[in-house]
Amino acid sequence: MAGMNNSKNQRDSDIQKKIDHEIRMRDGACKLLAACSQRDQALEASKSLLTCNIRIMAYMSELQRMKEAQVMQRVALRSSDAGPTDDRLPCKGKVAISDLRIPLMWKDTEYFKNKGELHRCAVFCLLQVGAEIHDTDMVIVDRTLTDICFDNTIVFSEASPGFELRVELYSCCSEEDYSAGSTHRKLASKLSSSLGRSAGKKLRVAMDPGACSPISNGGGATLLLPLPSVGPKYHLLAHTTLSLSHVQDSFRTHDLSISGNEECSHWVPLYGNVCCRLAAQPHCMTQQMISGCLKVKQFGGDPQSWTNVYGVLKGTNLFCYHRQEDIEANVEPAFTISINKKTRIRASEKDLHSKAQSICISNHYGGEEVTHTLSADSREDTHRWMEAFWQQFYDMSQWKQCCDDLMKIELPSPRKPTLVTSKQGSLYHEMVIDTSDDISTVTDILARRMQELELRSQLGTSPPWMSLFEESPGCPRTHNRLPHSPLRCPRPGLLSSEASLTSDSYSPCSTSPCSRHSGWAEPLSSPSSHFRPRTLSLDAKLSTLRGRGYGGVLQCSCQPPSSSSLAPIPAQRIPQATLSCSSSTSSNSSSEGSHSPELSNGTSFSRPSSARRSLRNLRAKLDPRNWLQSQV
Amino acid sequence: MSFIPGQPVTAVVQRIEIRKLQHGEHLILGFSIGGGIDQDPGQNPFSEDKSDKGIYVTRVTPGGPAEVAGLMMGDKVMQVNGWDMTMVTHDQARKRLTKKDEDIVRLLVTRKSLEQAVRHSMM
Repeated sequence: MAGMNNSKNQRDSDIQKKIDHEIRMRDGACKLLAACSQRDQALEASKSLLTCNIRIMAYMSELQRMKEAQVMQRVALRSSDAGPTDDRLPCKGKVAISDLRIPLMWKDTEYFKNKGELHRCAVFCLLQVGAEIHDTDMVIVDRTLTDICFDNTIVFSEASPGFELRVELYSCCSEEDYSAGSTHRKLASKLSSSLGRSAGKKLRVAMDPGACSPISNGGGATLLLPLPSVGPKYHLLAHTTLSLSHVQDSFRTHDLSISGNEECSHWVPLYGNVCCRLAAQPHCMTQQMISGCLKVKQFGGDPQSWTNVYGVLKGTNLFCYHRQEDIEANVEPAFTISINKKTRIRASEKDLHSKAQSICISNHYGGEEVTHTLSADSREDTHRWMEAFWQQFYDMSQWKQCCDDLMKIELPSPRKPTLVTSKQGSLYHEMVIDTSDDISTVTDILARRMQELELRSQLGTSPPWMSLFEESPGCPRTHNRLPHSPLRCPRPGLLSSEASLTSDSYSPCSTSPCSRHSGWAEPLSSPSSHFRPRTLSLDAKLSTLRGRGYGGVLQCSCQPPSSSSLAPIPAQRIPQATLSCSSSTSSNSSSEGSHSPELSNGTSFSRPSSARRSLRNLRAKLDPRNWLQSQV
Repeated sequence: MSFIPGQPVTAVVQRIEIRKLQHGEHLILGFSIGGGIDQDPGQNPFSEDKSDKGIYVTRVTPGGPAEVAGLMMGDKVMQVNGWDMTMVTHDQARKRLTKKDEDIVRLLVTRKSLEQAVRHSMM
């Protein structure tokens, strides 16, 4: 009884600590909100404030529930009724929700024509199981988005199978001006101090008078304080509740209940669904439920052929190792008996040879029924094992589909740096090339990027420009599929036939002057503040280098140095000799009088086959950046 | 050589008559063109006005029919056999120059030096 009390007190004080922590966070958020002037800071602070408030409410109600349970138990113990039957409790588990995506439903006129002001809202999600509340990152939504995506993975570690995961979407219009005047602050502080005392008293009365530590009083009892009048306010836009029946190892769509309508300032037109991946790992699947020494015999076998094993019950299997040490040594178990929904386990009266009962486990493998007989050393052990098996069956019946197979839950990793392929920007805008840099700097940057992204390539998200580095000279450059791969690193060993790198030209020009980069880079809806579009294009860089007399072949540090020709072509005038050389090659290769652009002097590259050439010619022709030239 | 959109273009032109040469299977003129209304005018190294989408001569094969006729690199082609070349796509221009049944093409070309020469002579 004393022990029970102690644990309860421990839990109470845990919750109390959490409440205090949240109140401190809340105070901080209020101060920040009052002090900040930037819109996104204010939005973040307001979001923290809302989250803190909701957490405090949840902890308070948890505290209340615990106290009620305590009182009920005391009443039950005092009464003469027998205690409640020893109900079996199912094991707890991890529940993870990830890849939340909420589709939007803009009017087609809004979305396609993109007329009028861009009305933006800040949204985020709150996910709650019991008293555990997590928030996602905040996302700014405007009518160029088709879905709201939250990348966070949120894991609740101790959920029971009857959990209810409440998903709430909060939104706030992000247009208003929130200047914090000093009058507002004074008002807020006045309110808090005056409400504090009375609110604190009320709350203390409401709670159990004789119970444990009171809520922090005085200026801290700001629980009834409404949100500060300054700053952005979030409103509940939609909610839904998910439970065990929604758990699946893949993405599913669920309905959302939407509160609010078009008139509200915080309105975002939702399609009415939310897609997410809700996975659960019950502890019975991930942890060892029981382990110990056993003797196992296959049914119908020789009565003397007992095998001594060390058995471990985990998930849907009973692993039988030769020795206990094998588990740490990662040695494969001697054999494995499945324990799943179709398994039948019964205790059997054993023959005269052994003293204790033994346990029979039957499974159907294929069409056959296979039975194993287990025997423990003592009656108590046998009883323990039976108990564990019953518990396992009970857990599996409670967690239902989560026990068929172990669902994967990816733990949220520490924040990675901004993805290169995020829709806010492209590698193009990230690369800052100084005028003093030379081409090797560029390739260094690219090589570093490649290393960084190698990790991510397993997830299949390698950026489009990676294909440029693939060592297959025959593979056609995927122009049409990659509208925004602005890099033109010369293919190793082969000279590009693009006009920008041909040597025939007129070096004084810059084939693609800086101002052109907007022509092919994807128009950014809201350029991230990190990337400033002052970068020079790689093409312009290359042409400047060419103008300085590096000639037709550019030495890239990423490229095996192609033989010979770094013959610098004089900058201003192309000597006739070079022209004749290239004209003869080009006239040889002209098919119908027009092929463009011309291939550069072929001293250092192998003449590509005609199929490849025609394909390249076609691609070169279709590329709007080339300035076509035709021979007539 | 800049133009005001919608207004007629005036230029001092030189008439150049090129006789096509049989080269293997093809009749060639011996020069290359660049430009066109479907091309990026900013990449034209010969044009004075970088929004000029006209057809320019980018190369002249030495010893070829074009050079013999007096065509020079950098010339802007205004007409070919009476067909206008100031408002055509690149491919249209090429086709007009390479008609199989024509042996001779008469070009009207303009170049900066022509303008200067005229101006000098008027002074």
